[in-house]
Amino acid sequence: MATDKELSDFLEGVERRAFKQAIYAVRNEESALDIVQDAMIKLAEKYGDKPAEEIPLLFQRILQNTILDFFRREKVRSTWVSLFSNIISRKEGNEDFDILENFESEEGTEASESSADKVEREQMLTLLDAEIQKLPARQREAFLMRYWEDMDVAETANAMGCSEGSVKTHCSRATHALAKSLKALGIQL
Amino acid sequence: MNTVINKSSSLPNDELEFAYNVRRALDERLNFLPESTVNRLSEARKMAIARKKPESALYVMAARRRLAGAGGSNSRISNPFNDSISWLVRVGIAIPLIVLIIGAFGIYKYEEARRIDELAELDAAVLSDELPLSAFLDHGFDAFLNKHGE
Repeated sequence: MATDKELSDFLEGVERRAFKQAIYAVRNEESALDIVQDAMIKLAEKYGDKPAEEIPLLFQRILQNTILDFFRREKVRSTWVSLFSNIISRKEGNEDFDILENFESEEGTEASESSADKVEREQMLTLLDAEIQKLPARQREAFLMRYWEDMDVAETANAMGCSEGSVKTHCSRATHALAKSLKALGIQL
Repeated sequence: MNTVINKSSSLPNDELEFAYNVRRALDERLNFLPESTVNRLSEARKMAIARKKPESALYVMAARRRLAGAGGSNSRISNPFNDSISWLVRVGIAIPLIVLIIGAFGIYKYEEARRIDELAELDAAVLSDELPLSAFLDHGFDAFLNKHGE
């Protein structure tokens, strides 16, 4: 059974990478933070008594499921929002005044934070971030789990709920796509 | 952070090297996270640890009590206070159980004695042929005698 310290050390080591994984997927800092927090709490509440060696894989599964849950909730919310906005626009006659402004401001703060420093290396890292974000979701998940989380093919397949062959294919495609796009941008890692 | 990529990969070396470089860049990028984000992550971690599965603590307590019961006497970490508490708990359970068993046995004996007394009274009445006068004044009893006399 993982002790409090083991669990805390694990979460401390993984929290920033988990946040980046979440932000690559949802592209919103607040939502990504909520997702990581939810995943951490779910892990501690439901699997806190599991052996320490099982914790990393469990956390990846929980994180991926929490990201999926976020998209499901967003889908339901957007359905209701579009329904109500239609009703409101019929009544008031002015549409998309608030939502677009909010989304733009959130995007703006994230962009301003990442481009605040003008150091060349950081700019390159920002571009790399953007290229990773552009990868198809499954390719990105497989690539990050295999090479960033240091999970083997079987563990990645388990966490993604797909076959090991699919993981290898996703990883290979992600690697080629990233290499091609970075080369096109003139970035040498 | 482990910087060695899993060696079970079947990727060609140049692809593996590229993946390693991406990984190193991503790790480097983590250092540029805003302070507010790092703080939020730290708070989230503390919150998660505070809500760690509570059953685990009970499990530890139960395991300790089991160990205390099984081998508490030769345990180096057993303390006299805990031993005296477990002894009191055992006495506290045993005494009501003994009282209950004695009480049940007493009730059984009392009821048995009462039944024997009732049977003895009836037997004595039958043997001495003592019937109360009211029995002869009872019309129902006459009818009963006539019927059986026939």
